[in-house]
Parts: sequence; C-alpha cells; structure tokens
Amino acid sequence: MEPGLLKSSDWPLLIDLYFFLGGVAGGAFVIATIANLVDGRRYQDIVRIGYYVAFLALLPCPLLLIVDLGYPSRFLHMLMVSKPSTAIGMDAMTVGPFHLKVFSPMSAGAWALLAFGLCTFLCALDVFLTDRGGRGVTGLRTVAGLIGGVFGFFIAAYPGVLLGASARPLFVNAHWLGAIFLAVGAATGGAAIALILALLRGAGAREGLARVMRVTSMALVLELIALVLFVVSVKMAGSAGISAALGQLLAGAYSVPFWLGAVFIGVVVPLVLQRGAARAGAPGMAALVSVLVLVGGFLVKYVLIAAGQAS
Amino acid sequence: MARTVAMFTDISLCIGCRACQVACKQWNQLEPEEPEWTGTYQNHAHFTDKTYRLVRFFEEPADDKVGMRWHMMSDVCKHCAQAGCLEACPTGAIYRTEYGTVNINQDICNGCRYCVSACPFGVVSFNHDTGTATKCTFCNDRLHNGLGPACAKACPTESIRFGFRDELEAKARKRLEDLKTMGYKDAQLYGADQGGPLGGLNAFFLLLGKPAKYGLPEQPKLPQRNVVLDSLFSIGAAVAVGLGALLAFRGRGDDGDGGR
Repeated sequence: MEPGLLKSSDWPLLIDLYFFLGGVAGGAFVIATIANLVDGRRYQDIVRIGYYVAFLALLPCPLLLIVDLGYPSRFLHMLMVSKPSTAIGMDAMTVGPFHLKVFSPMSAGAWALLAFGLCTFLCALDVFLTDRGGRGVTGLRTVAGLIGGVFGFFIAAYPGVLLGASARPLFVNAHWLGAIFLAVGAATGGAAIALILALLRGAGAREGLARVMRVTSMALVLELIALVLFVVSVKMAGSAGISAALGQLLAGAYSVPFWLGAVFIGVVVPLVLQRGAARAGAPGMAALVSVLVLVGGFLVKYVLIAAGQAS
Repeated sequence: MARTVAMFTDISLCIGCRACQVACKQWNQLEPEEPEWTGTYQNHAHFTDKTYRLVRFFEEPADDKVGMRWHMMSDVCKHCAQAGCLEACPTGAIYRTEYGTVNINQDICNGCRYCVSACPFGVVSFNHDTGTATKCTFCNDRLHNGLGPACAKACPTESIRFGFRDELEAKARKRLEDLKTMGYKDAQLYGADQGGPLGGLNAFFLLLGKPAKYGLPEQPKLPQRNVVLDSLFSIGAAVAVGLGALLAFRGRGDDGDGGR
C-alpha cells in the first residue's frame, strides 16, 4: 500500500518516556537481582540502588499510560471488562472478567506491568526495611527478585515487540526491535545504578562501579548488534515504501538524532570512555558515561518511534 | 454462529456517484466534515473517524493516449478474516461478530490507538471527540434486522453487493470470467480467496489492474505474525544480558581495587 494511506497511532512523547522509564526500571531490577544472587552482601549497594531505581522509575509509568488514553477512565479495560467476549482474538484467554491476549503485546504488557510493579514494590520495601535496621522478610527479596527479573526483562523488551507488531512500513518487516529495546533497557538501567553509585559513594565504590559499567558496556555492544540486524532485516524486505522509511531514519529527517545522538553519543563515546573508566573505576568518568548512556538510550527509542510513526 | 456475510465491490461498475458514502454517513449519523482538495474528486484523502466508506478516484491516461480515464473504487473496511486491529486490541473492544465481520465496541474501547497502526489498510481512525477508535461496522445494527449495509443498499449500479460470503464469492468469480472474455485482461479479484492473505477479506473487490494501482498492498500481512520471532530474539538478548551480568559480577575483582 502507499505508505501515506496507512495510519499512525500518533503516540506522543509520554509514550516514549514510558518506554524509556520502563526500560530503566527493567534493566536496573534485573542487574540488582543478579548482583543479589551472586553475592548480596558484597554488592549490597548495587542491589539497594537497583531496586530503588526500578521502583522509582516505574512509579510514574502507569500514569503516563493512562493520561495518554483517549478515554482514561477506562484504563482497567486493558485487564478486565464486565463480560469479555471470546471472539476478541486468536489467542484470547478469559477468566471471569479478566482477559489476556498473548499475541497482543499491549495486553500482555499491561499484565506484565502489574506483576512487575508488584515485584519492584516488594523488593524496594524489603530494601527499605533492611535499611531501617530491620531484618526484612526472609526470602522475599530472592523470590520477588527472581520473578520480577523475568518481568523486568519483559517490560524492557515488549515495547519493541509491540512496535514490531504494527503495519507501519518501518516496522512491519523488522524483527529486532524487542532485542534493541531490551539491550537499551539493560544499558540504561546499569547506567542509572552507576550514576547514583558514583554520586553517593564516590571512590569507595570502585569495584562495584567497574562491574556495573561492564554490564552496561556489554548491553551497549548488544544494542549495536541488534541495531545492525534491525537495519538489515528492514532492508531485506525491500519494498519502495519500506526503503523510503529506512532512508528517513538513516539519511533523512531522523538521521542526525539517530547517528549523532543514539549511536555516537549513546553507544560509541560511552564504549570508548568506559574502557578507561572500567580499569580505574573512576567515579567521575563513570558518572559522565552513565549520563551519556541515559541520554542515548532515550534518543534511540525516541528516534525509532518517531521514524516509525512518520514512515 | 450465523453464516459469514460479505460485501463485494466491483469497481468496473462504479460510476463514482458516492451514494454509498452519503448513505453510510446518513445511516451511521456521521457528522459532515470540511471538504479537502485531494487533486481529484475524491473526498477525503483517507478514511476518517467520520468517513467509513470512501470512493477513491484514480486518473490515468486512456487507451487512446489522448484523453484521461477514471478508475473509481469504493473503499471500505475489509473485515479481514485475520484482522490486525482485532488482534492488536488490548481491551477486547474489537471483536468478531456472529456474521464474521469485525466491529469495535464503543463502550469498551479506551482509546489506546494501537489498532490504528495495526491495520494493514489504514482503515481504523481515532475519534478525538469520543476518545475511541472507529471504523465501518458493516452496519451491524442493520444486519441484526435482516438488512444489508446501507452502502450496498444505496449503490445504484450494484457495484457494491451484499450477501453470504460463499454465494458472493461465486458471483465474483463469474463476473471476473465475464470481464476477462470482454477483454479486461488485468481484471482480478482482491481478497476473495479465503486461502489468500489475511485468510481472505469479508469485503473483497474486483479490480481492473494491480492492487498497487488502487493503493492496496499486494500481500497484506497480519502484523502479529512478527510477535513470535521478535519475542524469541528478545529472549535471546535477555539470555545474553543475563549471562553477561552474571559473569561481570562473578569474576574476581581485577578491574577495580575492591577484590585485592
């Protein structure tokens, strides 16, 4: 079809912000959980900061989503309606008033957001209780951390899969958006932890910083690979409309924020700088790199969504 | 489930009178809109939240290469057997009716707009006044009262026909044969084949040329076909991140000074 005849959802910046914060929350939570599993005592700063970041980053997310709805008071319809029909999709499951559609990433995402929100709350609560000198609830952090880790990955990745399951020319044949979003989530989640660690603990957190930064670099490399695969998969689809959409991203209206913002500032510069910082674990450098990763992480999501909606 | 119904739009019979467009507006009580200049007699350029039937006008050089000729095509929601909007909808507002058509329950839709970008034909529109997504209902209220859709009823040339899908498909094939013998070599059906893309369209068309000429995708794709592969790639990335983080935290602290 003439690309101009297709329609866009016209999601505003609120949604980009949600995708970004959801990624930060998911990434930070997963990193905290893994650090906790390996050695919760040794990495207690990373675990504490990670769970707090996840909780705080996720806190505004439901609000962002609800405000954007055309009919905000019906937000619960994402999860339940009074009498769900069974003819609402090839995979629709209904239990009482609740419904879930596995092949609708937005439906699955709404449930995942609920589950992840619960886990981030429980882990942040456990950290809070421990910080206040209490013992916390035995096993709560481990269980909620593990379950929440799975949902954290989901929350970071599903917006990419959601965009991929649309008819927009840039997305209709793309297969790597979920992987890109997941990698960006892990990188920005790690960067958020590192930034706060560097600011709060300074030189006292060299080892922890070096390790979180290593996770972040690895996620950045993964993001770069996924971006290349995304471009290749779109290019291989090859129709005129799709090529034009890709051209807008790589060489057209969106090329500057994409190359300069998302790729150069968000991935290349942090990777180059981080090599030095990782060896030294220098807090100043780690903080700078983290800020760049966060900015680049927002930009890559923003520019992909903008180019997709305009395609 | 009642027998599946369908609309068959034969563009070789369309005279561009737009009675269908007007009848649709009247029956569904859709408000008037400011006309817009599209370069042809076509109004509007696209489906809107107040235009569910849209007569598209295409101009091309006539066979004698001197004058121009019109192609008129009355376009509408295709009521796909595998519908991108329906599969995308997170609320279940978009549902398959007992007639096999696709409808949006206006009392359930919460205006997330995912269906708008999930439609491979750019049909679904967002209504800013109601805050919900809207599109052709196949005149669901008329169906329930034993009537066909208003557009088909109003069409003076039977370019739009309404009926049971199987019967209508047979009529369409017959019409195609007739046109071929009359010399319309490029005539073809679009969406009539239930084994075709999207499991067939319950509003199918007879075109006088390639689909692209009428702004229709050659091979429309159900967007949700991407979900499985995209999810698998995402899981792969998650495993990579998870393992990488595990290694980063497990290794001896030789990158910083904390391990020494």
